[in-house]
Amino acid sequence: MASATRPATVRERVADADRSVGRLLLVAAGALFWGWLVASWVNRWLGGVLVPVGQPLIPAGAVETAFAAIPGFAAYAADAAFVVELTPELSRGTWLTVVITAVSLVLGFFIAVPLAVTRVYGRFSAWLSLAYTELLRGTPLLAQLFVLYYGLNLASYVPGAFSGVFARDVVWVAILGFTLNGAAYQAEYIRGALESVEEGQITAGRAIGLSKLETIYYVVLPQGLRYAIPSWTNEFVYLIKYSSLAAFITVPELYYRADQIASETFRYTLIFVVTGVTYLALVLTASKLMERVEERVSIPGLGADSEE
Amino acid sequence: MSDDDFLRVTDVSKWYGDEKVLEDVSFEMDRGDVTVLIGPSGSGKSTMLRCVNRLAEAQEGSILLDGEEVLSPDLDVDELRREVGMVFQGFNLFAHLTAVGNVALGPRRVLGLSETAARERAEEQLERVGLADQLDSYPAELSGGQQQRVGIARALAMEPKLMLFDEPTSALDPELIGEVLEVMHGLVEEGMTMLVVTHEMSFAREVADEIVFLDDGRVVERGPPEQLFDRPEEERTGRFLERIASHD
Amino acid sequence: MSDPGTLALAAAASVATDLPAGDGLAALAAAGGSADWWVVGEPADWGFVRRNADYLGVGALLTIGLTFASILLGFVVGFPAGAVEVYGDGLLKRAVSTVGIVLRGTPIVVILIVMYFVVGVPQINLGVASISSAMTAGILGLGLRSAAYQSQIFRASLSSVDEGQLEAGRSIGLSRFEAVRYVVVPQALRRSIPGFQNEFTIVLKDTSIVFAIGLAELLTRGYDLFSEQTTAVLEVILFISAIYFVLTFTTNRALDYLGDRYAIPEGESA
Repeated sequence: MASATRPATVRERVADADRSVGRLLLVAAGALFWGWLVASWVNRWLGGVLVPVGQPLIPAGAVETAFAAIPGFAAYAADAAFVVELTPELSRGTWLTVVITAVSLVLGFFIAVPLAVTRVYGRFSAWLSLAYTELLRGTPLLAQLFVLYYGLNLASYVPGAFSGVFARDVVWVAILGFTLNGAAYQAEYIRGALESVEEGQITAGRAIGLSKLETIYYVVLPQGLRYAIPSWTNEFVYLIKYSSLAAFITVPELYYRADQIASETFRYTLIFVVTGVTYLALVLTASKLMERVEERVSIPGLGADSEE
Repeated sequence: MSDDDFLRVTDVSKWYGDEKVLEDVSFEMDRGDVTVLIGPSGSGKSTMLRCVNRLAEAQEGSILLDGEEVLSPDLDVDELRREVGMVFQGFNLFAHLTAVGNVALGPRRVLGLSETAARERAEEQLERVGLADQLDSYPAELSGGQQQRVGIARALAMEPKLMLFDEPTSALDPELIGEVLEVMHGLVEEGMTMLVVTHEMSFAREVADEIVFLDDGRVVERGPPEQLFDRPEEERTGRFLERIASHD
Repeated sequence: MSDPGTLALAAAASVATDLPAGDGLAALAAAGGSADWWVVGEPADWGFVRRNADYLGVGALLTIGLTFASILLGFVVGFPAGAVEVYGDGLLKRAVSTVGIVLRGTPIVVILIVMYFVVGVPQINLGVASISSAMTAGILGLGLRSAAYQSQIFRASLSSVDEGQLEAGRSIGLSRFEAVRYVVVPQALRRSIPGFQNEFTIVLKDTSIVFAIGLAELLTRGYDLFSEQTTAVLEVILFISAIYFVLTFTTNRALDYLGDRYAIPEGESA
C-alpha cells in the first residue's frame, strides 16, 4: 500500500520532464520557422540583400551534401534539398496568408462589435443583425467567395486607392469575403460573451448616471470582450486555415502556390506535407499568442480565471 | 478489543504528497454499532471514512472488515464497495436518472438483477426513506433533503453490511436536516452498522455507541458520547465542542 | 492520376476572364432600377437555373450523404479519442492529442488533397454501387478532421461531469469502466449536443471544399453550371447558397429539438 502512490508521482515527474523537453523543442522549431520566414520576407523587400530574390536562404545543394554526410539522413538528402528549393515560393505565399488573415480579422472585429451589441441590446436592429449572422454562418465560405468573385465580379471594381497595393486586386475580394464572413462568426462569439456579463453590471452603470451606450462601452464591453478571448482565438485559427480557400478565387497565397508547384512537379506528398506543417505552425503561433494576450489582460475573478 | 470486531481500523496513515493527512488512526466497531467521527474541518475524518471503501487509499496500517483486509492490494475493490454503502455530503445523485433510476442502477448493473426486479427493489428502498411519491422525479426536481434520502436509498439498495455517511446533512438548509436524520434514526433502530461523519452533535449523542474525535489527522480522544461530550479528557476536545455549541 | 485540384484552380482563372466585365454588378444595378427591385438577376438566367434544378438536386443529395458519412466517421473515431484524452494516460493519450492538434491545425483543403493524392484511397466497390476515390477521400478527410473536433467536444463534456458522479458510481460497486459507461457518458452525451450541433453545420458547409478534389457535390455542380453559362453566375451561386442555408437551418432546428427532447429536467449537476 505504502508504495501505491509514490511511484506514480515519480512517473509524473518523468512525464513533466518529457513535456518540458517537448516544449523546448517546440520553441526551437518555432524560432527557426519564424526566423526563416522573416528573413525571407526582408530579403525580398530589400531586393535581395541576403540572397538573390527567388533563391532559398541556404543553397539547396549545400543542404543536400550536408544531409548526405549524416549517416541515416542520406536517404532524405534529395527531399530536403527539394524542400529548401520550395521555401522562397512558400514564404511569399505565407506572407499573403498572414496579411489576409490579420487584416480580415481586425476589420471583421470592428464590424462584429456593433453587430453583437445591436443583437443584444437593439430592437429592430437586432433582427437585422440576426439575419446577417444567420445568413453568413449558414452558407459555405467558399460559396460566399464565389458570389463576390464570380457572381459580382468585384475584382474589376477595386477602388483606385486600393488597387495596386497587392500584386493582384483579387486579394481585396478575398479580404472582403473573409471580413464579412468572419464578422458574423466573431459577432456570435462576442454576443455570447456580452450575454454572460451580469445584468447587475448594467443596472450599476445606469445607477451612477451613465447612459445605456456609455454603460455598454465602459462596463459591459471591457468585461465581455475578455470573456470572448478564448472563442475569438478559435476564430483566428479558423481564419488562418480557411484563408486557403482564397486560392480558389486565384489569390496567390500559401495553398495556391503549393498547388501550383505540385502541379508542375507532381510531388504532392512532400509539398502538401510541408504546406500542412506551415499552416500548423501559423495556427500554433496564433493560439500561443492569444494565450499570452489572455494572460496579460486577465482580471482576477473575471472570465477564464473564475471558471477554474 | 476482541478478535471478532466487525470493523477494526489499526494505525492507518495517509499522505497527500508530503502532507500527512492521517496519522496512526485506530478504532473498532461491532456489528450493529454506530460510530461517529467528529472534528474540525480538515481534520481527516472524511478521508478516514473514504479509506474504508477505498475511495481514498491509505498508505499504511490495516483496516479489517469482517475479518478481511480492506487495504490488501489483491482485494476486489468493486466487491468491497458492493458491501459498503456510502452517502455523500453533496448527494452526488446521477443527474441524468430519476429517483428510481438512481437507486436501481446498482442492483441492475452490479448485482445483475433484471430490469423489473431492480425497479422493484428501488421502489421498496425509496418507500423505506419516505419517497414513494417521488419515484420518477429527476434530482433537480427534488429538494436537498429529498435528494439525500434518495442517496441513502441508493446505498441501501445494495444491501450493505456497513453504511458510511460523509457529512450527510452539511449541504442542507436547516429546515431540511430533520427529514434526513429521521431516516438515519430509522436505520439505527433496524440495527444497521453505521460509520458517520457529522457536525450534528445532538444526533451523535442520541445514537452513537462511540464518538471518535479527530484533529490534525490523529485520534485525540474516543469514548461513549456521554463521556466525550460531558467529561472530555483532552483540552482540545473541550474547545472544539465549545466552538460547535456556540455555532448551533 | 487526374489532377482536379489544380484543374479547379486553373479553371477559376479562366472563368474569371471569360466573364463579361461588370456583369454581376450591372445585373444588380439593373434589378435595382426595375419595378420588382428585390429580384436579383435576369429572368432568363433564373430559367437556366430552373432547368438545371435536377442536376443541382443530385449535388445536394451528395452533399447530404457526404455530411452524414463524415459526421458518423467523426463520431465513431472522435468519441473514443475524447475518452482517451480524459481517462487515458501515457503514450496513447499523447499520441491521440498530437494527431488531434495536427488535424485541427491544418486547413481542410490540405487534408483533402493529402487524402486524395498522398493516401491515394482506391475506389470502393460495393457490388451494387461503387464509391469513387474522390468520395472516399472526401469522407476520410472530412470525417477524420471532424473526429479531431468531436474529440474536443466530448473531452470537454466528459470532464464537465462532476467528479462526485464517478465517485458515487464507484461507491455502489460499479467498476471504473462501468461508472463511466452508465453514469458519466449519458450525461456527457447530452451536454455535447450544442457543440455537436455546431460541428454538424461546419461539416455540412465544408463539404463544399471537396470542390478541390473534383467531387461533384452541390458547389462543384454549381460551378460547372456557371462555367457553361457565364451570364447566370450570380443566379446559380445564390441558388446553391440558398440550398445550403436551408440545409444548415433545418439541421440546427432538428438538433435543437433533439436537445430539448433529451434534456434532463433543469439539467445541470445538483
